[in-house]
Amino acid sequence: MWLKVTTIGASLILAAFILIVLLLVLSYSPPEIFLESLRSEEIQFAIALSLKTAVASTILCLLIAVPAAYALARYEFLGKSVANTLLDMPLALPPLVAGVGLLLFFGTSLPGRELAEAGLVFVFTPLGIVVAQFFVNMPFMLRVMRSTFEGISPRYEYVAKTLGCTDAQALWRVTLPMASNGLLTGSVITWSKGIGEFGAVLMLAGATRMKTETLPTSLFLNMSCGKLDEAISVATILILISAVSLYVFERRGGGLRL
Amino acid sequence: MLRIEKVSKDLGDFVLRDVSLEVGNGEYLVIIGPTGSGKTILIETIAGIYASDEGRIFLDGREITREVPRNRKVCMVYQDYMLFPHLSVKENIAFGLKSRKASSGEIEKKVAEASELLGISHLHHRRPETLSGGEQQRVAIARAIVMEPVVMLLDEPLSALDGLTREKLRRELRRIHEVYGTTIIHVTHNFEEVFSLADRVAVMNEGEIVQVGTPEEIFRRPNCEMIANFVGVENIFRGVTSERPGLIEIEVDGLKIVSAATEIGDGDGNDGGDGDGDDGGEDKRGSRVGREVFASVRPEDILISNVPLESSARNSFHGRVEEIADCGMMVKVWVDVGIPFMVMLTRRGYEEMEFAEGDHVYLTFKATAVHIF
Repeated sequence: MWLKVTTIGASLILAAFILIVLLLVLSYSPPEIFLESLRSEEIQFAIALSLKTAVASTILCLLIAVPAAYALARYEFLGKSVANTLLDMPLALPPLVAGVGLLLFFGTSLPGRELAEAGLVFVFTPLGIVVAQFFVNMPFMLRVMRSTFEGISPRYEYVAKTLGCTDAQALWRVTLPMASNGLLTGSVITWSKGIGEFGAVLMLAGATRMKTETLPTSLFLNMSCGKLDEAISVATILILISAVSLYVFERRGGGLRL
Repeated sequence: MLRIEKVSKDLGDFVLRDVSLEVGNGEYLVIIGPTGSGKTILIETIAGIYASDEGRIFLDGREITREVPRNRKVCMVYQDYMLFPHLSVKENIAFGLKSRKASSGEIEKKVAEASELLGISHLHHRRPETLSGGEQQRVAIARAIVMEPVVMLLDEPLSALDGLTREKLRRELRRIHEVYGTTIIHVTHNFEEVFSLADRVAVMNEGEIVQVGTPEEIFRRPNCEMIANFVGVENIFRGVTSERPGLIEIEVDGLKIVSAATEIGDGDGNDGGDGDGDDGGEDKRGSRVGREVFASVRPEDILISNVPLESSARNSFHGRVEEIADCGMMVKVWVDVGIPFMVMLTRRGYEEMEFAEGDHVYLTFKATAVHIF
């Protein structure tokens, strides 16, 4: 009996604690101040930059992590288990460390310098934000899609191939549509994690006002110079984005394991 | 004609060893064997899902060993249907024709034909997950048959269905085979499907084909212990039916066996799914008489006695004990009454009877014990 009471108590207290923390942020400043800071040029810049970079990094994840997840779910190949572990590594890595690594790669390594010569500058630029978000959040897309593909019997593709499809057509006409829930869930997670990404972005792209200022960066900059109203407004926006993505995730991807 | 020459494939868990097989045009071949015997990988290799490690496959004289699945003119139906869940029933059936870039008129026509044949036209706009198992399997068969494949491969197509649905679909498979004349290779572990469908049977075990022949040959003269144990059926006879009031009589080598079975093959009364249940009466009577069928009697349903039994049982025969085999708790007795019967007795029952090999005995069993298929 006491076990039931204490464990239920723990879960309820925890839930209440989270609710209080969120409400404190949301109720800190009156709505007028929130609306006014939304009109400020700096916060509008941060919102736009965050949305754009998160969309770009999500598309990058779709283009690269989805094929990789398919290979890991369908084929046996040399180095598969090593690849599996390495691809999950950024999840366990502190984002700051990932950022330092990226900075070294794009700042000092040969391929990094070649890219910079070719006009693709990642250090202290918005391009760096995209790459940092991609690097840190790619494992989420990979894991969602790997488990989605594993859940789809390869026999669907076998049947499609006997019905006139090439390998690629079978993937395009059958497996991908069947994986649409996973694609949506993976994209929402990657996108919302991308919007919230700070550590790796800070290291690679820096925190330059009105240049590489994403929402988390803006929160950090405003907080450190005491502009509490602006900081809280940015935090409020981030909470709203998280709430929406959590809702979509629960609705569409309830059965997926991360 | 499909010719498979010494094909081997190793998939780790499942293997195929040196399989050779020929299947004639329009033939209905059933492959039977225990779970894990390599039946599915054999037909998946025929479909081109896997490239064989060794050996060659020819279809109508053309080598297709390395051909991609879509150019083989071979279609596949699985036990668990594999309907595409994101497409409607109609889109599922039209899937292959669309990949082939058939004209929309041709697609409409062929989809309508196949749907009508399988009685699924009214389901066109439904999603696969809203259909019953039997309906889903009909859609899967329609999806394959519209491609007019040279060979259609069926992987345990009836195993996931309940008894009545299975019986109905089994008849439909035979009808489709007659209408389209497609060569069919049908994998199963259910021996009843062998008798009602197969022109020929191939028995597989541990990745090898161990026997090929007509159903009767396989069941009457299994060439190894494995097959005998696997098919596990005694007292199977082929005979011709004639009708008695309310009963069916089967004549087997001059011996008349009476069965209480109410249906043989397609003589079943409630054919709701076929859509044309109104031509019943005369046809059905016709189909019950003069047909070749198989009859079986389970060894434990037969009574054995030294004198004729006074009972209501319809079947009573006089014969000679050929052989007695002691199997511990049970005793098997083979009796020749013109055709060979195997009878199973408890040890106690056997000891009370006191008969030996060569003695004359009587066999008695009820009409309800005679199973017809």
